[in-house]
Amino acid sequence: MIVLAAKLLRHRAGPAVATLIALAVGVLILVAMGTLVESGLRFQPEPRLFRSADLVVAHREISQTSKDFTGDTETTTAALADGTVDGKLVARIRQVPGVATVAGDDRVIVDSPAAVGHGWGVFAFTGRSIAEGSAPQTADEVVADVRLRAAPGDQLGLTIGGIRKSYRVSGTADTGAAQVFFTDAQAARLSAHPGRFDTIGLSTRPGADGGAVTEAIRRIASDAGVTAYSAGQRGHAEQSAGLNARSLLIEAGSAFGGYVVLLIVFVVAGTIGLSVRHRRRDLALLRAVAATPGQLRRMLMAETMLLSLVAAILGVPTGLLAARWVHGELIDRGFIPAGFPLAAGGLAGLAAVGVAVLVAVLAALIAGRRVTRIKPVEALGEIAVEPSRSGPIRLGFGLVTLIGAGAAGGFAATMSAATAALASAVGMLYLFVLAVSLLAPWINAFAARLLAPPLSRLWRASGYLAAKNLRANAQGMATVLTALVLSVGFGGSVWFLQDNLERQTMTQSRAGTLADRVVVPIGGDAAAEIRGLGGVRAATGVRHTSVVVTSFEGVQAVGAQAVDPAALSTTMDLDVTDGSLDKLGDGTVAVSVMQASTSGWQVGDQAELWLSDGTPANLTVVALYRRGLGFGDVTLAKSTVAGHLARDADDEVLVRTGPGADAALGAWTTAHPGSTVIDAGTRDQQIGADLALGAWLNKLLIGVMVGYAALAAATTMVMAALARRRELALLQLVGVTRRQIGRMVNAEQAGLLGTAVLIGAAIAALTLGSIVRALTGSPIPYVPPLGWVAVLGGVTLLALATTIWPVRRLLRIPPIDNIGIKE
Amino acid sequence: MLVHSGPMVGTAVRVEKLTKVYGVGSAPVTALDSVDAAFGRGTFTAVMGPSGSGKSTLLQTAAGLDRPSSGQVFIGDTDLTRMSETKLTELRRTRVGFVFQAFNLIGALTVEENIVLPLRLSGAPADRAWLAQVVDRVGLGDRLRHRPAALSGGQQQRVAIARALATRPEVIFCDEPTGALDSRTAADVLTLLRAVVDEQGQTVVMVTHDPVAASYADRVMVLADGRVVADMPQPGAARIAEHLASLDRRAAR
Ligand SMILES: Nc1ncnc2c1ncn2[C@@H]1O[C@H](COP(=O)(O)OP(=O)(O)OP(=O)(O)O)[C@@H](O)[C@H]1O
Ligand SMILES: [Mg+2]
Repeated sequence: MIVLAAKLLRHRAGPAVATLIALAVGVLILVAMGTLVESGLRFQPEPRLFRSADLVVAHREISQTSKDFTGDTETTTAALADGTVDGKLVARIRQVPGVATVAGDDRVIVDSPAAVGHGWGVFAFTGRSIAEGSAPQTADEVVADVRLRAAPGDQLGLTIGGIRKSYRVSGTADTGAAQVFFTDAQAARLSAHPGRFDTIGLSTRPGADGGAVTEAIRRIASDAGVTAYSAGQRGHAEQSAGLNARSLLIEAGSAFGGYVVLLIVFVVAGTIGLSVRHRRRDLALLRAVAATPGQLRRMLMAETMLLSLVAAILGVPTGLLAARWVHGELIDRGFIPAGFPLAAGGLAGLAAVGVAVLVAVLAALIAGRRVTRIKPVEALGEIAVEPSRSGPIRLGFGLVTLIGAGAAGGFAATMSAATAALASAVGMLYLFVLAVSLLAPWINAFAARLLAPPLSRLWRASGYLAAKNLRANAQGMATVLTALVLSVGFGGSVWFLQDNLERQTMTQSRAGTLADRVVVPIGGDAAAEIRGLGGVRAATGVRHTSVVVTSFEGVQAVGAQAVDPAALSTTMDLDVTDGSLDKLGDGTVAVSVMQASTSGWQVGDQAELWLSDGTPANLTVVALYRRGLGFGDVTLAKSTVAGHLARDADDEVLVRTGPGADAALGAWTTAHPGSTVIDAGTRDQQIGADLALGAWLNKLLIGVMVGYAALAAATTMVMAALARRRELALLQLVGVTRRQIGRMVNAEQAGLLGTAVLIGAAIAALTLGSIVRALTGSPIPYVPPLGWVAVLGGVTLLALATTIWPVRRLLRIPPIDNIGIKE
Repeated sequence: MLVHSGPMVGTAVRVEKLTKVYGVGSAPVTALDSVDAAFGRGTFTAVMGPSGSGKSTLLQTAAGLDRPSSGQVFIGDTDLTRMSETKLTELRRTRVGFVFQAFNLIGALTVEENIVLPLRLSGAPADRAWLAQVVDRVGLGDRLRHRPAALSGGQQQRVAIARALATRPEVIFCDEPTGALDSRTAADVLTLLRAVVDEQGQTVVMVTHDPVAASYADRVMVLADGRVVADMPQPGAARIAEHLASLDRRAAR
C-alpha cells in the first residue's frame, strides 16, 4: 500500500506539494513556538541570595479563589511587582522549634552603580564566604561583590534614593550578582519600606524534624497571607527578570499555540481534501479495478503519513532555527533578559511532529469519508467531477455559528463592562471566521450569482465566463475564501488593534500632559525641590507602579501611577468624567472609566485593592477619568504608596514652567548628577518607541498566523490554476482569444478575492470597532493608511502570483499541446 | 463456432428484472426497464443499440460497479444486490474484469504495475507463468516498464485487457473497447478477446456500436429505451448493420 501510495504521490505531485508545504510550515511554526514554551517551562530560577536557606518566606502573588456560575471554583493569581512580608514574622519564625537562624532581607535598590543592597544578616544564606577582608562593622562599611571592582579599604560611592554616600569597603565576596552588604542596622535605615522585608530566609537546626518545621512555617506564612517556599522553589521567591520572561514565553506560546493548531487542522484538511478532489478519476479507477473503500482510505492514510514524515524532516530543523532567531530578537528587544536559556527543543520537536501527524491523520480521515463516496462508475465518465452539493449538516452548523457570531457581536456592542465586551468581541471574531469556513461554498455561489450582471457588463464575454466559472468552482474555492477571510479578518483586527492601542495611548498621553518639561531624577523628593525653583509654576512627582484589583475575571494587576495631588490639574489632565481629583489623597483613589466598569466601581464606592507590595488597601473612589491608557487605570496619591514601593524615588517629575524656569532646571540637574530634563515632546516619542517595542511580539505572532493562512490560500490557488490547462486550451480552440481569457481570469480573481476581502474587512471592522469602543469609548477604529495598502496590496499580489501569472504561462503554450493532455 | 441460444451449459452472468432509474426526483430517467438476460459460460456477446439505450448502464450494474434500482444480478450463483461494498469489490477483484473505452490505466504506474494492480490490491500471489502468457498474448513484452502516457490508444487498450485477464476472471465486461481505435488495431483487440473465449473458456460481454466488431461475437443483444428488443445469434456484420438501421428508422418515426 505504501509503495502504491508513494507512486501515486510522485505522479500527482501538485496537491502533494501543497499538503507538504502546509504540513512542513505548520511543523516549523509549532516547533519554534514549542521550543520557546519549553524554554519557559524548563527555566529554573536559581536562587542567588538564599542559596543555602532551607525555607524562604515571601509575598510574590495575590491569589483569589472564586466560584463561577457553574459552581466550579477557579483560582486566579496576579503577580506583585514588589511584594513584601511583615517584619514581625521574623520573631514568630524564630520561636518555631528547630529553626536555627532567621534573617529578613531589607532589599535596597542602589541606583548608581546599579546594584542591590542587603543587610549582613542574610549573607550567611548566600552560601559564600568573604574573599578578602571582613564583615561590615559600622554604618559606613560594606562588603561588596567582586563585580563592583572594589578592594578592601577602597571608598565606594553609592546613590540610594537620590542621596549619594561614600562607604568603606570592609571586604569583598563573589555572590553571583552585583550586590553590596551593609550592616543590618544600616540596611534597615536605607530600606524603602521600613518594617517590612522583601524576603525572610531561615535554616533549620541539624537533626530537627524538617517536615514539622516546614509545616509550622507554612502555617505562619499562610496566616499572614504570604507564601513559604521550600528548598526546591526558593528561586521563585527571589525577584528575577527570568521569572517574568518565563511567564511571557509560556503565555504567548500557549495563547497562540492553540489557534495555530486549529489553523493547521483547517489548512491541511483543505489541501488533503483538494488532493482527493483532483485525483477523483484515479481513485475511481482504483475502485473499479478492485480496491475496496477501506484500501483507498488506507492508501490515503499511508500517503499522509509519508508526507508528515517528510514535513517533519523539513520542519523540525528550520523550526529550531526560527526559535533561535526569535529568542535572539526577544533578548535584543528586552522582552527576556540576556542569557535566558533556550531549550534544545527536543520535547517541543517531538510534540510538534506528534501534533502534525495527528492533524494530518485527522484530515486524512475526513477526506477518507469523501473517498468512500467515490463510485467506481465515475472512472468511466468523460470527466470525473465531485457532486457540487455540500451537506445540509454543514449548512446547518454554518448558520447556527453565524447566529452565534451575531449574538456575540450584539453583546460586544452593548456590554458596558469593558473586559466583558472585549471577550465578546474576540468570541465574535472566531465565530465569524468559523461560520465563513462552514458556509464558504454557499457564499461563493451566492457571490457568483450576485456578481454575474456587473461582471458581464464590465468585461462582456470574459465577465460572463468568469461568473460561470466562479459558480462552478464555488466548492473548490471554499478553502481560498476561508483562508483569505481568516487572514484579513484576523490580521486586520489583531494587527490594527495594536495600532489603535498605541495611537490612543499616545493621544491620551499627549493631550493629558499639560506639563512642558519632564525631569527624570534619580531619587529623593525631587518634586518638592523643583517646585521651589524660580519660574516653575507647578511640579508633580510621578511614580509608576501597579496595583492588584478584582474584577469578574478574578484578580488582575493593572498599571497605576502615584502622584502629588497638589496642583495636579496644572500638570496633568486626566479628563475626569465624574467626581473630582481635588479629593485625591490618603484613603482615596481615582480610576479610569474602563477600570471602573470592569470592577464595578462608581464614585463614592470603596475600592478594594492591593498595593504593589501586597498590602491590602480600601480606598474611596473620588473620580473617574477617561485617559486610562495614557496614564494608567488607577491614580493614587504618593502618600498612599509611601513605604510600599521597592524604591523611594519619583520616576519622573512633570513640570509646568514659566519664564526663567529652564535656567533653574538646568542648574538643578547639574547639581544632581544622573538626572535629566527633557521637553514633553521628547517624552512622547520615548513613550511611542516603548509601545512599538511592546507590540512587536504580538505583531510577530499575528503575522505568522496570517502568513500561514495566506500560504494556504496561495497553494490552493496555484493548484487550481495549473489544473485548468485543458479547460483553457479548449476555450482557446473554440475561439476565445488569449486576451479574453486573461480578462476572464482577472475578473474571476476580482470576484473571488473581492468577496473575501469584503467579508474579512467587515469582520475585522466589527471586531476592531467593538474592542476600540470598549477600550477608548470611540466607536471608529483607526486604520493606518499603510494598513490599507498592505491588505489590498497583499491580496492583489496573491492573485497575481498564484493565478494570473501561472495562467499567463499556460496560455503561452500552444493550446493543441494542452488539449491532448492525458488525464 | 459454438452458438449458445438454447439451454446453457452454465450461466456466467444473469440479470433478472433489472431496473435502473437515474436522477430520482424532478426528471427521472429510466435507463434500464426490467431487463432479463443471461450470459453463458464461454460465450462472447455483443450488446448493441442506439445511444442512450442503456448499454453502459447494463454493463455497469451487471459488473457490480453500480447498484440497480431494483432487480437482481448474479455472477455465477452469487447474488450481487445484497453485498456490501467491500465484498462486492473483493468479488470484482477475482471474478470480474473490465475494459473501458478510455481512461483505463493509472498514469502513475508502469504497464506491468497496471497489469498486476488487481493482484496487488487483493494480496493474491501472482501466477508468474500465467502473467507471462498474458503479456505475450497482448504483445507488450517490450513495453512493460513504460508508462501509459507513452503508449498509443490501441496499446493502452491491450494493457487494459491484460489487466482484466491477470486474475483469470469468469467474465470480462468491455464498454466500447475499440471505440477509439483504427480498424487494424481494433481487429487486434477483438481477436484477442475472441481467443480468450475460445482458448480459456472465459465469458466476454462487450458493448459496441460497430457491426464489424459485433461480428466477432457469438450473439448479439440489442437494447432500445432500456429494453432488450432483439437477442440473436450473430448473423454477420452486414445483417447486424441492417438490423440497427431498421431500429433507427423506427426511432425516427
Ligand atoms: N449518471 C447519470 N445520471 C442521469 N442519467 C444518466 C446517468 N447515466 C446515464 N444516464 C441516462 O441513462 C440513459 C442510458 O445511459 P447509458 O449510458 O446506459 O446509454 P448507452 O446506451 O451506453 O449510450 P451510448 O451508446 O451513448 O454510450 C441515458 O438516457 C442517459 O442519459
Ligand atoms: Mg455508453
